[in-house]
Amino acid sequence: MIKHHPSDETLFRYANGSLEPGPRIVVAVHVGGCEACFSRIGEYEAVGGSLLHDIEPEALETGALDRVMAMIDADEAGRGAAAPKQRLPRADIGIRLPQVLDDCGIGPWRWIGPGVRWSRVTLPGDDSANVMLLKVVAGRRLPEHTHVGAEYTHVLKGSFSDARGRYGPGDLDEADDEVQHQPIVDREGECICIAAVEGRTKLRGFFGRLIQPLFGG
Amino acid sequence: MRKDQGVLSAQEASRLLAAVAARRDRAAFAVLFAFYAPRLKAFLKRSGMTASVAEDVAQETMLLVWKKASYFDPARAGASTWIFTIARNARIDRLRRDGRPAAIAEAFDPSDQPEEPVSGEQAMIAAEREERVRTAIALLPPEQADILKKSFFGEETQSEIADAVGIPLGTVKSRVRLALGRLRQILDDLK
Repeated sequence: MIKHHPSDETLFRYANGSLEPGPRIVVAVHVGGCEACFSRIGEYEAVGGSLLHDIEPEALETGALDRVMAMIDADEAGRGAAAPKQRLPRADIGIRLPQVLDDCGIGPWRWIGPGVRWSRVTLPGDDSANVMLLKVVAGRRLPEHTHVGAEYTHVLKGSFSDARGRYGPGDLDEADDEVQHQPIVDREGECICIAAVEGRTKLRGFFGRLIQPLFGG
Repeated sequence: MRKDQGVLSAQEASRLLAAVAARRDRAAFAVLFAFYAPRLKAFLKRSGMTASVAEDVAQETMLLVWKKASYFDPARAGASTWIFTIARNARIDRLRRDGRPAAIAEAFDPSDQPEEPVSGEQAMIAAEREERVRTAIALLPPEQADILKKSFFGEETQSEIADAVGIPLGTVKSRVRLALGRLRQILDDLK
């Protein structure tokens, strides 16, 4: 039972295309398993369809249709000759990942603190988005932290809790810069999440803030 | 360019897309092009593209409509909504190629994902959705409909706009939030 969803604004930005690449993939993972959000996005996309249908048209350049027909001819002639998609390297990290991540690169687990490991997720065509998988052992309390931009965390396995509630598989936690929280992974087992932060700050900055207190810094 | 010939109904658009998918029907495509390409250009310009880039991406979108016509499923989305999502993804890819990634599109578009067959109930919902959303927008108070449209085109999230209208950015955000809440309410009532 999914209890925590992306906000309407986030789903709206997913639909209109303005949500950044990192948060977009995390929301896509959530939507892949959440019928309510899938349907909400469909409605917001229909807002787009409706605006497109009703907008005052603007004439294209002369010969635009001929140009597109020529592109179609070229495309049909070259059918089947498309270059194979470049595959990004994927480490085996011991968990079946959702289908929407199939084209993403997955890095090996790396230690970043007692009981905490992370793996870098690389998006095709965009290596600067801040997306990561986090694996935290049962019972681990993460340092209290705030966010510079919004942070999106989707639970793939296990669960964690903070003052705002309990987050289990399928839940998405959207924390903006007003949220100060100290998540604790529940005792039943390890927790694996996919997370992204908004903005182009380096991952190190994010982990710095997240992990620093683990080392007493 | 031929002048706009009036409105294409959702049903007619679906039929034309099916003809393109089944028979690579160029005459059907030309009708779709005459209706949608000039709207796509206007739409993309309003989303912040220059006229020449909007022209380019509108043509690219129509090429993709041709190539992807077999993915169109009237049980999932109306024709205008489906074409909108293709344009949105083309726009995102263009921004990414230009080194300004706004979001990532192509690889994660659910419309490209193989999916389980749609249930009867889902099919009905999808067919009615575009119409229901259109009705809901019309039922919004004019000020909220305006803010919804502006924010859809990315016009309402910028602080300059807040400055221009003379209200703080936080107020713009909360107005968008209110408008979405109201839309959700109306859509739920219409179900």
